[in-house]
Amino acid sequence: MSQAVRRYEETEQHLPIEFADYHESVKITGFWFFLATDLLLFASLFGTFAVMRFDFAQGATPAQLFHYGPLILETLLLLTSSFTCGLAIYQMRRNNQKGMLMWLIVTILLGMGFVGTEVHEFVSYVGMGATWHKSGFLSAFFTLVGTHGAHVTVGILWALTLVVQLVQRGITPRTSRKLFTFALYWHFLDIVWVFIFSFVYLSSMTGGRIA
Amino acid sequence: MSHIIAELFPPSTLRLFELIADVLIVLTTVSIVGVLTYTKKWVWLWREWLTSVDHKRIGIMYLIAALVMLFRGGVDALLLRTQLAFPNNHFLGPEHYDEIFTTHGTIMIFFMAMPFLFALFNVAVPLMIGARDVAFPRLNAVSFWLFAFGALLLNISFVIGGSPNAGWTAYPPLTELRFNPSVGENYYFLSLLIAGIGTTITGINFMVTILRMRAPGMTLMKMPMFVWTVLVTGALIIFAFPPLTVSLALTLFDRLFGSSFFTLGHGGMPMMFVNLFWLFGHPEVYIVVLPAFGIFSEVVPVFSDKKLYGYPIMVASVLAITVLSYGVWVHHFFTMGAGPGVNAFFGVSTMLIAIPTGVKIFNWVLTMWGGRIRFTVAMLWQLAFIPAFLIAGATGVLLATVPVDYQMHNSYFLIAHFHFALIGGTVFGVLSGMYYWWPKMFGYMLNERQGKVAFWLFFIGFLVTFVPQYMLGLEGMTRRMYTYPPGLGWSSLNLVSTIGAFTQGAGFLVIVYNVLWSMRYGERDLTGDPWNGRTLEWSIPSPAPEYNFAIVPVVHDRDAWWDMKQSGKSEAFKVKSSAIRPVHMPKRSAMPFLLGLSFFVVGFGMTFSWWVIAIIGGLGVLASLLYGAFDYDDFEELDPEVIRRTEAGLGRLQA
Amino acid sequence: MAHLSNQSHHAETPDHEDRIEIGSLTPHFQAHGFPWKQVLGYVASLLLTALAFVLVMNHVLPPTALIAVILVLAVLQAMLQLGVFMHLRESRGSAWQVIVLGLGFFMAAGLIIASVWIMMFKAGVS
Repeated sequence: MSQAVRRYEETEQHLPIEFADYHESVKITGFWFFLATDLLLFASLFGTFAVMRFDFAQGATPAQLFHYGPLILETLLLLTSSFTCGLAIYQMRRNNQKGMLMWLIVTILLGMGFVGTEVHEFVSYVGMGATWHKSGFLSAFFTLVGTHGAHVTVGILWALTLVVQLVQRGITPRTSRKLFTFALYWHFLDIVWVFIFSFVYLSSMTGGRIA
Repeated sequence: MSHIIAELFPPSTLRLFELIADVLIVLTTVSIVGVLTYTKKWVWLWREWLTSVDHKRIGIMYLIAALVMLFRGGVDALLLRTQLAFPNNHFLGPEHYDEIFTTHGTIMIFFMAMPFLFALFNVAVPLMIGARDVAFPRLNAVSFWLFAFGALLLNISFVIGGSPNAGWTAYPPLTELRFNPSVGENYYFLSLLIAGIGTTITGINFMVTILRMRAPGMTLMKMPMFVWTVLVTGALIIFAFPPLTVSLALTLFDRLFGSSFFTLGHGGMPMMFVNLFWLFGHPEVYIVVLPAFGIFSEVVPVFSDKKLYGYPIMVASVLAITVLSYGVWVHHFFTMGAGPGVNAFFGVSTMLIAIPTGVKIFNWVLTMWGGRIRFTVAMLWQLAFIPAFLIAGATGVLLATVPVDYQMHNSYFLIAHFHFALIGGTVFGVLSGMYYWWPKMFGYMLNERQGKVAFWLFFIGFLVTFVPQYMLGLEGMTRRMYTYPPGLGWSSLNLVSTIGAFTQGAGFLVIVYNVLWSMRYGERDLTGDPWNGRTLEWSIPSPAPEYNFAIVPVVHDRDAWWDMKQSGKSEAFKVKSSAIRPVHMPKRSAMPFLLGLSFFVVGFGMTFSWWVIAIIGGLGVLASLLYGAFDYDDFEELDPEVIRRTEAGLGRLQA
Repeated sequence: MAHLSNQSHHAETPDHEDRIEIGSLTPHFQAHGFPWKQVLGYVASLLLTALAFVLVMNHVLPPTALIAVILVLAVLQAMLQLGVFMHLRESRGSAWQVIVLGLGFFMAAGLIIASVWIMMFKAGVS
């Protein structure tokens, strides 16, 4: 790796560190392609939700379930975590390890806050008797939003392993590439969330049925 | 205890064929273990193969697995045809028949056609673009082991727990838990989910390899045609597999966790499964046929001694097929009732796709036109492909006409249509590719004479099997019926079709004999270029050394190796000792195998809803991933001295 | 940069090719003293989000128009994330991810819209 580091230093005015090593830069391309397929995974779930969004059967309707409070909290937590993740990458590119780790940990904490709020929201729905068994709408809702939540959870675990690696190894072309791909993943989940709150929540609140 | 045994071995697995299969599996396992122990090959197997991340070895493992699966799927087909040979036959019972056509379709599509193509991707693509390996060697091994363990999971369903029985498309409500409580369908969903992750990774891996790792000078429009088709196949995979994953996962949720997606009650919508499945299913047809087009585009120029006719148009038509193939999926369910607007749109889009396909056929024919054609086995498969695929395409356009489809859907006409497409396109393609690249994989040639015997048996058998099925379809015979009464005019056509199927089986056996014979007596390929090839893989020794290219070639022309040979540079292409640099090589790793094994344990546990086992497997998955994340010691620099010695041994080092 | 390539540690990264790759990298990454770009991006995303919520909370438009507007706002915000935080256009060599992601968005939108259209014949889907 030392040679790769030297290579980076020689080109530093041209290349951010995560692109400095040729092989690592190929992995960034690969991760973008993974995001493209993940995008289609979410699209399939959005499509299912779109088709089944009025199949309430005997189950609860959005008007009975959705409230602005938890939705605004979740959205704020995730948008902010996307911002702090961007700051972590900014500090990484400035070779500021302390700043990078701090913002990464803040990102993780905000992500945990998001997952916690979402779990609380889901538990309250189930407590109202709105389980996913009840209707096609609820199945599609829980699966779409839950898949996003599961992605965020995986992201948190991933970020924790990155904290360990970054503490152990510092900012190298390889660790920085790993953090960069994590950041891509995290911002991507933020984009998915934007579509979830717009399309799943807000769209079903447009009819004036929510007090 | 007895409860567990009853669950593992329900009555459906205690029938004659299942018991024969049991005995064979046990015997095979015992003999393999015995031979490995006796010859002390366990360590060799583990170090050289199971933990290998070398694309050439992974390709060979895919090839072996695909041939085994071709055998399994082929035996299924013969059982089906035996049952249908005579009216009122009771060779197989109705439930048994359901299980066998289900596994026949599932195995042939997911565990034969796809791995066979991936074998050729792995063997040929990096060599054709002048790369040392694929972009992500370890993930490549992960792909293989997820496929292999997924295939294993599906195959054990035959003897443990019960086979899936709802057709390869697994439509609800046939798969709904209360109508189909056996564990068979769980096997289907889980094995396809596991293998599907691997396939998605393969798609990404080859796209990135092709886009980022070409030899200098090889612009996109100088890539061999096969590489182009692999590139677009990768795009098809990454966009088409997510809908499959979702449709499978949601049905699995319905079955295991009580959700209400595709159930008849609780506001479920079974037809949405059909929509999602075919959103994947139609691109899948092109996933398995476009690479075959690519293989033919390599084989035809080499054995016609001419460059490929109309290369830019070929590229354009491949891209057109790729885009169009996403816009046609409803033609698989015109009869669902989505209405004239929807059906008209998808009928027209389906017909449009015939245009670029027709263009490609013309280009192959024009490549052969005026060429010096050598009738090798690889070329014969290609020559058989053209009429077969023409018929498949023409009947496909018929079926795309919505009112006609209302008459013909789910009849044997459809069965004959897609077997013409998938055997005539994909199977002929992969067999052509296998004979073509075999010397590059193993260093010896497959005997041509035996190969030709196999070809004629298989090709004639193919026509005799499926031409009568077109007629049966027009006579009104529907698919998936396990028997039929006499006097409908179907009997003799069915008998002929069965005879054809056994002829194809004989062709397969000759191929196996051909491989075994050639292993021992086959002509060695000492030149590395036995066919007078045109692309870069023929510029290096057979089999390719582990680092592929001692020196990365510089490409100036489309048929790069041909160009070097013509301009007399091929001699200069011999390796200059001083030019050899250290090579960045991936290290072998146990992680992919263990990850695959862990997924298998998860799948097995979930199939039977034995959560403890599933969780143990899940922990294994987690541990494998963590190990991968913290392993920074995954590549090494190959010493130039090793390369020099290897090349000198092959007589390829310049003085 | 020629001296660089000669001692390239990855022999399989061919000299001139790699120079092209490095040369064509979009140089957006220059780190200034203060991350203005990120802060502005964050503020913009908050504004777009707040706008969507306020529009819906006050029912300023009929439902269909409102849904269209918030979907447009969502697309804008996605573009913002891609540009500001994900450095979409940065790469060595051609930025293949732009093409692949663009195709992905096209496919995703097509999948959702076509599915709704196809399944519209079922009562309850509109």
